[in-house]
Amino acid sequence: MADTAQESAIKAEQQKPLPFGAGHKLIGHDYTTPDQMAKVMGRAKYAEDFRAEGMLFCRLLLSPMPHARVRHIDASRALAMPGVKAVLTADDIPAQADFLNDNGQTIKANKWGERALTNEPMFQGDPILAVAAVDELTCAEAIEKIEVDLEPLPFVVDPLVSLRPGGPNPRATGNVWTRGSTGEEITELKWTEDDFAEYKQGRLPMGKPTSEWSYGDLDAGFRDAALVLDESFVTPDVSHQCLEARTAMAYWQNGKLYLHTGTQSTYQTVPAIARWMNMRTDQVVLISEYTGGGFGSKVTGTVIMIVPAILSRKLNAPVMMRISREEEHFIGRARPSVLGRAKIAFAKDGRIMALDYYTVCDSGGYENNDNGASSARIVSLLYQPPAMRWRGVSVMTNTPTRSAQSAPGGLQGITIIEPILAKAARKLGVDQVALRRVNSPEGKAEYGPPSHGKRPHVTSCFLRQALDQGAQQFKWQERLARPRRIGSKARGVGVSLSCYVGGTIGFDGLIVITPEGRVRFQSGIGNLGTEAVMDVHRAGAEVLGVPWELCDVAWGDTSKHLPYTCASGGSQTTHAMTRAAYAVAMATKQRLQEIAAKSLGGKPEDYEVGNARVFRKGGGAGMSFAEAAKKAIEMGGIYDGHQAPDDVHKATKDAVTALAGQGLVVAARDKAPRDGDTYSYVASFAEVEVDLETGKYFITDFLAYGDVGTVVHPHSLGGQMLGRSTLGIAHAIGQKWVYDPEYGAPVAMRFYQNKPPTILDVPVNMQWGALNIPDPETPVGARGVGEPPVGGGCASILNALSDAVGDDIFERAPVYADTILTSYEAGRPMQHPLMASI
Amino acid sequence: MAVIRDVMPAFDLLQPASAADAQKLMEQHGAGAWVMAGGMDSLDWLKDRIKKPRVLVDLSGVDELKGVRVTSDGVEIGATTTLTEIANHPQIQKNYGILAQAVSLVASPQIRNQGTLGGNVSQDVRCWYYRSGWPCYRASGNLCFADTPVGRNREHAIFGGNRCVAVHPSDSVPALIVLDAKFVVQTPKGERVIDAEDFFVGPEDDITHINVLQPGDLLTAIRIPSTWAGAKFYFEKVRDRNVWDFPLVNVASAIRLSGGNIDQIRIAVNAVSPRPMRLKAVEAAVRGRPADPDTGEMAGKLAVQGAVPLQFNAYKIPLMRNLVKRAIAGVAQPETNGALAMSAGAQEATCRS
Amino acid sequence: MPQLIQWATSPWGQKVPIHIAWGLMWIALIAGLSFMIAHSLYLAIVKPAKRFAERRAEAAAAAVPERVQRHSLAARMFHWIMAAAMLTLLFTAFLPKAGVHFNWVLYHWIAGLVLTASILFHIVHATFFMDFWSIWPDRIDRRDAMNRVRRFFGKAAPPPARFAKYPLENKLYHGVILLSGLAVIATGLFMMKRVPTGIFTRNPYLFSDMTWGLMYVLHGLAGVGLIALVMVHIYMGVRPEKFPITKSMIFGWMSRDFYLEEHDTGRWAVKAPADSQTEQGYAASDGD
Repeated sequence: MADTAQESAIKAEQQKPLPFGAGHKLIGHDYTTPDQMAKVMGRAKYAEDFRAEGMLFCRLLLSPMPHARVRHIDASRALAMPGVKAVLTADDIPAQADFLNDNGQTIKANKWGERALTNEPMFQGDPILAVAAVDELTCAEAIEKIEVDLEPLPFVVDPLVSLRPGGPNPRATGNVWTRGSTGEEITELKWTEDDFAEYKQGRLPMGKPTSEWSYGDLDAGFRDAALVLDESFVTPDVSHQCLEARTAMAYWQNGKLYLHTGTQSTYQTVPAIARWMNMRTDQVVLISEYTGGGFGSKVTGTVIMIVPAILSRKLNAPVMMRISREEEHFIGRARPSVLGRAKIAFAKDGRIMALDYYTVCDSGGYENNDNGASSARIVSLLYQPPAMRWRGVSVMTNTPTRSAQSAPGGLQGITIIEPILAKAARKLGVDQVALRRVNSPEGKAEYGPPSHGKRPHVTSCFLRQALDQGAQQFKWQERLARPRRIGSKARGVGVSLSCYVGGTIGFDGLIVITPEGRVRFQSGIGNLGTEAVMDVHRAGAEVLGVPWELCDVAWGDTSKHLPYTCASGGSQTTHAMTRAAYAVAMATKQRLQEIAAKSLGGKPEDYEVGNARVFRKGGGAGMSFAEAAKKAIEMGGIYDGHQAPDDVHKATKDAVTALAGQGLVVAARDKAPRDGDTYSYVASFAEVEVDLETGKYFITDFLAYGDVGTVVHPHSLGGQMLGRSTLGIAHAIGQKWVYDPEYGAPVAMRFYQNKPPTILDVPVNMQWGALNIPDPETPVGARGVGEPPVGGGCASILNALSDAVGDDIFERAPVYADTILTSYEAGRPMQHPLMASI
Repeated sequence: MAVIRDVMPAFDLLQPASAADAQKLMEQHGAGAWVMAGGMDSLDWLKDRIKKPRVLVDLSGVDELKGVRVTSDGVEIGATTTLTEIANHPQIQKNYGILAQAVSLVASPQIRNQGTLGGNVSQDVRCWYYRSGWPCYRASGNLCFADTPVGRNREHAIFGGNRCVAVHPSDSVPALIVLDAKFVVQTPKGERVIDAEDFFVGPEDDITHINVLQPGDLLTAIRIPSTWAGAKFYFEKVRDRNVWDFPLVNVASAIRLSGGNIDQIRIAVNAVSPRPMRLKAVEAAVRGRPADPDTGEMAGKLAVQGAVPLQFNAYKIPLMRNLVKRAIAGVAQPETNGALAMSAGAQEATCRS
Repeated sequence: MPQLIQWATSPWGQKVPIHIAWGLMWIALIAGLSFMIAHSLYLAIVKPAKRFAERRAEAAAAAVPERVQRHSLAARMFHWIMAAAMLTLLFTAFLPKAGVHFNWVLYHWIAGLVLTASILFHIVHATFFMDFWSIWPDRIDRRDAMNRVRRFFGKAAPPPARFAKYPLENKLYHGVILLSGLAVIATGLFMMKRVPTGIFTRNPYLFSDMTWGLMYVLHGLAGVGLIALVMVHIYMGVRPEKFPITKSMIFGWMSRDFYLEEHDTGRWAVKAPADSQTEQGYAASDGD
């Protein structure tokens, strides 16, 4: 494999960037997506905008305690109020069903999983009950009349506090996640006082881990090193803060649940609802045409959305549950903080020789979210250490539920490692870009721990070119030559590598060509703002040679009969669904050729498809798509959907059957081969200016340069590159949680307190670029891009800051003016290094 | 009783058309009335259901409280004049540029379009414990949650923390103090005119109030005398975010030089104490000295004498020291501060244009 | 019914007491005033007759000097320091509640420390250097109290004996003051952990919210109780028939006449000053 990797690296080096859209009519060209005008003009209807006859509202009662047991609920005074219809408690929530995955395996319902309502709240803000009434004011007044008798239980909001000898446990059974014979379990782990010996110095204690892996000869790497650095760094807990809170509206018709909500995925959310409601998927219709952001927090919606569904069934009336910003703070999910420590051996040229990495991840109150583990895999890929060990602990705390957030683990790993690389470059006198270049992955790079004796590898990687192109566009060398200090202002530049997963395979595409001659793509993708819901079908239209003006996309409503589609999470959609679009377009082309041959004579291969027609090669007879569609209806069977292909998913078959007779109905599964795992890469560059008298700094320039495969839609790619970079920047400059440890309660719940970045916190002229080198392992060449820029967004800012103010000024993110001012004055870090949520 | 936030409670909405009517309504309803100008502070309290007034007196329909009037001795700014209008007013920009600058750095453009000067000076503290509805001293309770061995107090006070360690959050107030502004208040007993610095109350005197206004009192206008018109001004606000953020510390100074030396000076800081601070000791110490970095250095050190930091806010001491330094030395070199980066305000202005 | 306690919702949503309802301050004030008015009217209108039993041992009176030493300088200093502290505490505590705003907490805790120190001194002084039992009701007090009540209601009962050093009312008052004083001191000292004093590091988490709340309520109840008690005490101190006692707290002595009128020479044996000592050093008892 090593030889192959080297060979592919050489090949990768030889690949040259291409202009966007080169060789394509649609792919790589900008266009107006079908949903765009409605969004811009305010016509788009989000879940909260729907109303139904007789609709009731519901509101939630949240736990005031970080961990408690409900002893008794007295809702009699609330229920006696005029307009109050029902109170829903945890006892009304159905048991979650086991889950049949796509491979036909039964996955047992997670006993630790979060439910919609609970009798043992695991964090302050955990919903205990819901009240339905004629309006929200009545709900609120009713909730204030409810007496909930809670028994306070031991709690902890700081993972290291929980790991201390005698530290409190977040649950009776323990405090850390371990893998037992029956799956993941919570067990108790306490470290020793000796483990905490250097806590006050800001060095992460490294007691007994619960997971670990390694490869290569770590000792040799450290033995032969020119420089060894051992540093700790803490990344913040960051709420997703989606613009659209997880509002849901539900009603029932003829035994079917109709649920309006914002979710990242359309098709994939139905099985989740069915599982939470303990129903069949064919009893659920999801309507989610527009979603105001997800970032990993709404991959298949969230469990809270079944509350209006159950209330609606109980009351036989539509029920709207609008989630407030306060509630969103609690149930809207967050990225877990990772406390990391890495000891890295460097050669003289900055090449990493060995990397020993330890993480403590705060996984919150429910389910394991060990971003430390995923961070280790990203670190092993992005910096290609020849020898690496990872050890880690995933700790449960009584804080809100964590979930994936754009580049889960990726952001944390990159943010922990990059400042060490920046410091090493300064110590070794190596240029920052050059140091990244020697460590950058290339070609079919290997990553992670060996599995069955072999380490996995990626499909392709052209990050060095992205780094080179980015450095050129950013004028890296010129910036280095500029004055670094004028008066009280110091300037610094930073660079960071970045990557994350970029695609899966094996999903279905579904096309209907109507008798009107229009091509309709049935899209099971969620409309979460990335435009993948539309963009991927351009790959299908490209194959069919049909002008985009003749294409429609059916999306956002599962009653429209949508095919088996990937979840819109993990940046997989562009990759997975351009493959499915390609597959179904190729199948459609084949069907059109067959229809033409059967109608006009000759063999299918005598016909070509293009410009909304199928016609004999070299001129002669042909037919329009409209005519072909009519013909398909006449022909029936596999042509109009009366017979679905055998190899597609059952859900796709159901959709095909439902659409039968509408025209030429074609479904196909993506079966294109792939060697390796798909990842995308970004090189990020930033410049900052720091006022040394106030600590205040400004980001004056930023560039993200991507290796994301073929560029499908430049505008939406640019939006992703800069938007997700900004998400990363948020972690560097300000977004955070603040918890009062005495009460285990968050105190920074307003935006002005938890400080998501504003448009003025990023430079006016943020730049982006992309190589547009196709990934060789996918037909369209496109990879996903949502998550890869995030880590670089954060780390490039941190590196620029340390370039301006020096090493050892900050040991955690976000970095505020106060840290810089006091640490710079003192010449050493002055911030509490390892304390959670300060 | 369970707690729920984010649903505005029911109240009677009263919308007087004149200041006299407004004052009468406030007098009539006393402590049960909530007075709202732009609503930028009020709506938080109401939506959180922490304040549940019986009636809400909405001043937005009282035209006589709006607008800037040029008087024989300066300007009079109606209490419900928006911050945007003040920032853009030519007379204020010309003679009292420090006020235009200060209000243009408040929050965000949207908030400045809606927020009023009266509201900005009368707004309540932003301590996150207090704002979360915790029963602290300021909320008539019996402890301060911010000043405990584990309290989170990065944005809290280094001066004047008498039980309550919240800071006064206004950006306009230091500018008004250095301009020697007078606050005009209609009370049930008639009109009162109060010096800007005397309008505010520290927790040592009255922990549940932030200013002298009592139920039934209506702030109608702020008068700025011509005393400091055209003086050399300096204003700087340091905040975490470049827009929509309260100050970590802000500073304002007005200086008249005589032969290069400071002849007259007023200097004020905010966000370091529950009450806006006028630095009279600094004023006395720098009078007669040149407005240069040495004087600034001395002034900065003097300004922070007696500061008592909490666990997470020690940075405010060097920050205030350096800002005071700049407020003295910076008036003579207005460009120093913007040599490399655009200031937050300039950047915001660029973005607006 | 007026509320006794001010409740708040803790950060955990629990109903916790935070202090007394400040309305109690007015109730205490009214109670104190009512007592004064009622007592004055009673004395003015009913004009109760002398109540003591006939003095039997006239010989003993002869030994009593013109100036009967009643309070040592130390005891007087204690009383007035304590009084100043107590008044400061009451005014600093309750004036702000009545709308007079000033930096009350500073003066309040300083006065509290003065009060604490003076009480500590008093406890030591009274225990080891004074007649400790003189301030506590004895058997005769109890008997006489019963008799006085019976006589008040017109029933037949022997007249009470004259007082010992302190009248029973004084002893009872001391007891109540002692209880309320110790309550405010004990709670007040803990409360100093909640306010910035420069003496302790602030730590409001020594006890649970509920314990603290009850402590504040106890402090408040004792505080408002002291309003009424101090008012009554001052009123008694300035009443003409009691003024000789007040004077004795200023100058240390009371007149022979007053002593003989009010006090039992046996229960409070007065020692004549050295320069005017008679052959009989102590007045003989006229009690039993």
